[in-house]
Amino acid sequence: MVKRMTFKQFLYIVPLLAFIAVFSIYPIVTSFMYTFFDYRTNDQQYNNFYFSQKLNVKLFLEDCDYVNYFLDADKTLLSVKDAAAVDAIEQKVTDEKAKYAGMTGTPTLSNAQSSEISDFVKSLRQETLAIYDRNTGIEFYNKENMPQILDDMDACIIESNFIGLRGYAELFSDTRFWLALGHTVYFTAVSVLLEFVLGMLLALIMNKAMKGIGLIRTAALIPWAIPTAVSAMIWSYLYDGSYGVVAKIFADIGLIKSQTAMLLTANGAMSSAILADVWKTTPYMALLLLGGLQIIDRGLYESAAIDGAGQVKIFFKITLPLMKSSILVALLFRTLDAFRVYDLIAILTGGGPGNGTESLSVYSYKLMFGQSNFGYGSVVVTGMFICVAIIAFIYVKVLGAEVMSNE
Amino acid sequence: MNKSKVFQTISWFFIIVFLAITVFPFFWILISSFKPESEIMGAGSYRIIAAAPTLENYITVIFKKGMVRAIGNSFVISALTTSYVIVVASMSAYIISRFRFYGKSILMGLILAVSMFPQMIVIGPTFNMFYNAHLLNSYWVCLAYSTITLPSAVWIMVTHFKQVPLALEESARIDGCSAWEVLWKIIFPIAVPGVFTTAIMAFIAAWNEYMLSCTLNIDEKIQSVPVRLSYLKDEFTIFWGQISAAAIVVVIPTLIIVLLFQKQIVSGIVNGAVKE
Repeated sequence: MVKRMTFKQFLYIVPLLAFIAVFSIYPIVTSFMYTFFDYRTNDQQYNNFYFSQKLNVKLFLEDCDYVNYFLDADKTLLSVKDAAAVDAIEQKVTDEKAKYAGMTGTPTLSNAQSSEISDFVKSLRQETLAIYDRNTGIEFYNKENMPQILDDMDACIIESNFIGLRGYAELFSDTRFWLALGHTVYFTAVSVLLEFVLGMLLALIMNKAMKGIGLIRTAALIPWAIPTAVSAMIWSYLYDGSYGVVAKIFADIGLIKSQTAMLLTANGAMSSAILADVWKTTPYMALLLLGGLQIIDRGLYESAAIDGAGQVKIFFKITLPLMKSSILVALLFRTLDAFRVYDLIAILTGGGPGNGTESLSVYSYKLMFGQSNFGYGSVVVTGMFICVAIIAFIYVKVLGAEVMSNE
Repeated sequence: MNKSKVFQTISWFFIIVFLAITVFPFFWILISSFKPESEIMGAGSYRIIAAAPTLENYITVIFKKGMVRAIGNSFVISALTTSYVIVVASMSAYIISRFRFYGKSILMGLILAVSMFPQMIVIGPTFNMFYNAHLLNSYWVCLAYSTITLPSAVWIMVTHFKQVPLALEESARIDGCSAWEVLWKIIFPIAVPGVFTTAIMAFIAAWNEYMLSCTLNIDEKIQSVPVRLSYLKDEFTIFWGQISAAAIVVVIPTLIIVLLFQKQIVSGIVNGAVKE
């Protein structure tokens, strides 16, 4: 008997909802928002979200003060006539300053205001330059400083960094993205396929309940249970071009040309990553599949054997169809897991050599935290998100229609 | 008869190969961890027994490279994560397994979706969130681990709570227990094996987490084990002996956990993935 939930009981799931909302939903939505902006955390002009032009008021007022301060100093060196011209300029600056003096923070600028400011800076540039040029004989204190402060004033107008869908357009012409997608798909397909075949073999053997199965299970769990970062470090030692024993064995038996080929060629590095992943995750796959195998009624095997079916036939006609749902689940989980591979590749190869093993996760992480380009990094992540959604959709719809429908 | 002999031989062959491949990397780092750096880099780099075995690598890693502190950090963060995940997941699993409500399948779908999407999508905004709240380089990172631990925890808990017979709960209700008491005094104790499985899975997930931890906790004082270990490689020269020793230091607790709790881990792996 299942009762309806009351409001009081709803409170029990509030913490769960809060966690999902704050640490999953909010970041996803925010990430999506980042994709519409040229958002870079290391650049003052781009480290926020501006739909329209803004003015950095504080900086602008400071710059006005500096201009007058510079002019005051240089005025003392000038003739009476030029000093009067400087006075006029200073008055203009003071008037301009008065216009924006009341504002704080980064107020929005209308088009008229922003062109008024840039015209003002432009005329300031011309007029001061004219005075300095007229008096080439005088050693001014601030002749070099003036253009710099005027450049700084120009930068006070913060352009809108809203770029709409342009980030996505860039994605389509970004060859590095497509290469990373290719690497990710290749890595995922090959490692999941190998893990599935080997995991299935292992599960079939473990299901026979032989002696020493506990030992095998323990051994199988250790690679899965250690942090990926640690196994990546272990493998990078074993693959090392000079002292790595696995690289040496592979070179000695002729699998690779020389020991250094393991991590220093794109193909070798990709195979290295796949091998390390297969080593770590095959046991996990085997245990998932074993779970599915154990549900199958042993009587079915016996009656099939009495009917004269061979081992191979039993496997394909009984075992596989009955395991369909656990196979689907295992493959789905593993595919999505492999598709977002980060730790292993980041530590083992860093995406190299020459971006030859760069996965989508590694590429987007480099964009976001290497180049501080959160905007475009988020576009790449969104591309990845879409791929994940497509993969999940294919699994659920094409392979698992009946599995899901009998829920 | 003959056929099954062949099958057995093949099985044993496969198992031996599998075990050898599984164990070999650990074996190799174990012997390397006792080699002085000169033997790892030098001519004897493929010798199995070190000519002059030494504990120097362990001493350096433990006392000079901050591995002990990293293990402490990882332990605190994983324990905190496990604690709140158990409480939050128990409360939700109780409602999900006992009551019907509008949007339940949406909620379950949402939980499943959260466990499936690429974690890379949350990293940017999560970083900004922690930066603005001044929570970088702190134990608060455990809250961000909810995206990797909570979904499977709820999933496993629901499976286990469903197996607790309703009759027990109903008689408790008749005796005047509130829903809160029913959850913590009746269901929770009965489902302890499931709770334990959930706890171990959450702990391992938090212990192994790398991406969030290497982004949010960069300061050496607060680095977790995987991050600290990865920093050993970034230094100018790579001391493989030290890395091996550090890896052994990390693998030993894992080995103990696996030996003690392998039943729960296996059940966690299977239940975490099996559909509702």
